[in-house]
Amino acid sequence: MKTISAQDGLGPALKEQPRVSQKTARGRWLVYTLAILGGLVLVSWPLLLNDIFFTHVATLVLLYCIGAAGLHLILRTGHVSMGHAAFMGIGAYTSVVTMMKLAWPYPLALATGALLAALLALALGPIILRVRGVYFVLVTFTLGEVVRLVFVNWVPVTGGSNGIFQVPPPFPLFLSNLAYYYLALVMAALCVGLVGRIVTSEVGRVLDAIGESERLAQSTGVPVLRFKVLAFVIGCTLVGIQGSLQAHFIRYISPVSFAFSESLNFVVMNVVGGMNSLVGAMIGALFIVPLPEFLRGWVEYQHIFYGIILILVMAFMPSGLAGLLSRAAAALSMRRRGDDA
Amino acid sequence: MLSPTLVAQTVVNGVAISAVYILVALGFTLIFGIMRTVNFAHGEFAMLGGFALFILYGTLKLDFFIALPLAALVVATGSLVFERLVFRPFYQKELQGMIATLGLSVALQYSAMIPFGPQDKSVPSAFTSLVELHGLTFASDRLAVLAIAAVVLLAFYLFMRFTKMGLAMRAAAQDPEIAEAQGIDSRRVYQSAFFLATLMAALAGGLIGQVYSLSPFMGTTPLVKAFTVVILGGLGSIPGAAAGGLLLGMGETFLKTFYGAAPADFASFGAIVLLLIWRPQGLFGRGEV
Repeated sequence: MKTISAQDGLGPALKEQPRVSQKTARGRWLVYTLAILGGLVLVSWPLLLNDIFFTHVATLVLLYCIGAAGLHLILRTGHVSMGHAAFMGIGAYTSVVTMMKLAWPYPLALATGALLAALLALALGPIILRVRGVYFVLVTFTLGEVVRLVFVNWVPVTGGSNGIFQVPPPFPLFLSNLAYYYLALVMAALCVGLVGRIVTSEVGRVLDAIGESERLAQSTGVPVLRFKVLAFVIGCTLVGIQGSLQAHFIRYISPVSFAFSESLNFVVMNVVGGMNSLVGAMIGALFIVPLPEFLRGWVEYQHIFYGIILILVMAFMPSGLAGLLSRAAAALSMRRRGDDA
Repeated sequence: MLSPTLVAQTVVNGVAISAVYILVALGFTLIFGIMRTVNFAHGEFAMLGGFALFILYGTLKLDFFIALPLAALVVATGSLVFERLVFRPFYQKELQGMIATLGLSVALQYSAMIPFGPQDKSVPSAFTSLVELHGLTFASDRLAVLAIAAVVLLAFYLFMRFTKMGLAMRAAAQDPEIAEAQGIDSRRVYQSAFFLATLMAALAGGLIGQVYSLSPFMGTTPLVKAFTVVILGGLGSIPGAAAGGLLLGMGETFLKTFYGAAPADFASFGAIVLLLIWRPQGLFGRGEV
């Protein structure tokens, strides 16, 4: 039997389409205009529509954008983490427990949750990031299970399988869905902006180089492991922040909320949206988070549809919805260029 | 605390659990070794095997020794549909294949919910007596699980070692292109390997049903164990799966018996982390340049 070494990456598989962007002046203006327009829409629609249900779902989408962007950063290095929800759980439990049992103010509780997620990532990262590809998938999967078992078994602190009820909102003001939406919007803009800044910076290019070929990056003098740990720690911190914000929004946590299916969800968001760009992660969150709400009418079948959608997306559009969009855009500009000529 | 009786019983339990782990892990590693697909739906084939036995043995009252292989055969044959629809488009594409099998896993779990419901079900025990050997008492279901798994594993070994198809599978696992150049029909090899893997998983599911209860989500545990086993033994390595399974099964049973379930799970993760530092390709894995 042929075996693969743990050093084999999924890198080449991730990079089906090269991430080439023609940054022309016109393109940049287009991006700025779209960003400003999008921002205006995001700020104004809840006020205009004033619908509790849509605001609730949109808040969740924004929160998931944070975690999905965090995973995107890790995926850039060619590592697929199947234990992302574990760090979300650590952020959530820490902030809930410190706020409810120790009566810490929310900002401190949030920071502690994010810090603990970061510390665990920093402790484990240098060990588990040595392996790549399928091995990393399996190890992070196991890690996620172990963390979930801690939540289940550490009853005095976590409340065991029952979870913790009546989690207070960060401040009484945020009992309102609308207020929480704006909190989520600000946090998501900050976190996604941070990731966007990283991936377009020097560090981002180093991460891409690592994802492309670890050995080549190493041979050009890149301290590969250090950069991978950096991406991993930032990614896990972000999902920890999401965990805390989400726990105080839903106001209930239990180990189930951080089980494997949740980790899978993050991967699916990135895959369905398209792993080649940060925008893909956002599109994925926008598509996957509301999906159960749209399938509510078929409660028994919604997971079956979800599974089938996954298979179909993988079979027919492996570069995700973002890939589909960019292909459509490319086709459009081709046609326009054809008209010009 | 450490009486010889307790140690002997723990050993028997440990080997029985190991044998079930190996049955699941072998198929998992076989599919990965040959098709390069991480089969996240592998545990669901065990679940289907368990429920097939539940129907054939529990409801239709067939003889156990007919019902068990029949259940596995039915599941493995039926699963060829999934091979065609879900696995074949993704052969040799690790990442896409992995996500697609995750989708299949979720779809199968919730499809099983519709007829069987979310509650745990139990298959009536085929072996209820106690066996006395040299003054030691053993539960006969564990011994039966052990014996059946041993027979299947031996048959699998003989198949891989001595038949033409077994040789073709080993060749395809080493290098699919060169194997094809030698006139090996890789599609048939893939199909047969998939069939064998699901057959063993479904059998394991039936055996699990003899010791534990059944539920649509029961596949997760054997899958996690299979992961651990193949990380320990080396992904794609058959002797590795056997050794890893034995190591995990024994270690876990002893820890569980003397310290409780949670420490056993933590210890197995600790073992994996240690192994990754010391030998990332697993105990039996060969590094690949």
